[in-house]
Amino acid sequence: MSSGQSPSDGEAVRRVLAGEVEMYAVLVRRYRDRYARYAARMLGSYDAAEDAVQDAFVRAYDQLRQCREPERFAGWFFLILRNRCFAERRRRQREARPLGAHDEAIAGVERAEGRAERADDRRALERALARLTPEQRDVFVLKHVEGLSYEQIATLVQASVPSLKMRMHRAYDRLRVELKELL
Amino acid sequence: MNAGYDVLIKRVLDGELSPADLPPALRAEAEQALRWLGAVERAPVALSAAVEARVMARVRRHARSPLSRAWRWLASSRDVDIRLRVRPWVVGLATAAAIALVVLWPAGSVAPSHQPTYVRFVFYAPGARTVAVAGTFNQWDPHASPLALTAAPGVWTTTLALPPGQHQYAFLVDGAHWIADPAAPAVDDGFGRRNSVLAVTGADGKGRAL
Repeated sequence: MSSGQSPSDGEAVRRVLAGEVEMYAVLVRRYRDRYARYAARMLGSYDAAEDAVQDAFVRAYDQLRQCREPERFAGWFFLILRNRCFAERRRRQREARPLGAHDEAIAGVERAEGRAERADDRRALERALARLTPEQRDVFVLKHVEGLSYEQIATLVQASVPSLKMRMHRAYDRLRVELKELL
Repeated sequence: MNAGYDVLIKRVLDGELSPADLPPALRAEAEQALRWLGAVERAPVALSAAVEARVMARVRRHARSPLSRAWRWLASSRDVDIRLRVRPWVVGLATAAAIALVVLWPAGSVAPSHQPTYVRFVFYAPGARTVAVAGTFNQWDPHASPLALTAAPGVWTTTLALPPGQHQYAFLVDGAHWIADPAAPAVDDGFGRRNSVLAVTGADGKGRAL
């Protein structure tokens, strides 16, 4: 029961499934920003992140009956958003759209605020990150932006720690090559 | 020529070592790598409040749309009650065919059956307060098929009547943790988790993990 308090995720999911569509706004409000940084760093753009989060919420609503653990809606929603980010990056790669364009825009703000050297590092890093595969960028963002341990990432994305480490270490190698060119 | 980092530098980037732990020849590169890692953009991102309005507008449209309702109906699992109307002569033909099948079936073989098969689920979970099995056979209802603790410590079991066919399932421990059967093969459920797979072969009274 809600009893005046904000309903739990599980209660909100159950009420939406029972036909109380407006209850979905509680979940949107609760998780709108939580994974926005992940989406922004995966896609390199605030606008693309906003589109991805919106689409993921609508998709999650359409598939809500498949949320087997309503109390763990957040983790379930994250996987939908993650798939959406992967698909968007692959789509851009297929269309050969320059992945770094938005990244540079984000880095440009920092250039005006911070020290030039740090801004140059960030700018180069963003451009190098844009050249990682979606899978490599995913583990990089979860570890070095979201600050999760390999064990936490493994639980979140249902992967093994050794496979995540291998992906991360390949990303380091790729970044080394890209940064040597850029710096 | 190796274009990648030395594995020790990777461990520094992973936070497992510090540059001081490295041989002197690797320290400068490790410091440089840490410098660009420190430049990673970590500022929180707050989306516009308009996101909620836009999502809810689309959700309301989907909720009203007959097409979306149909899709959600198709995408969700449910019991389907199928009734067949057959004419008496069809029953006669089917009976004759069944008799012929029994007579002609090679000795030692087992005729296919649509009778339920009793399958025993056993799960070892020492310390668990509750264990249930949920799957395609009970519409993933976490309350439908609880396991009972046996005399053996930590061993939970239940026996279910399952129709022939392939079933996906997982165990639910303490109402919160979904665990695939460690003794059965598993498939991705489309959301990054694993479901175990069980094939019930029918009249021989056996279920087997695929």
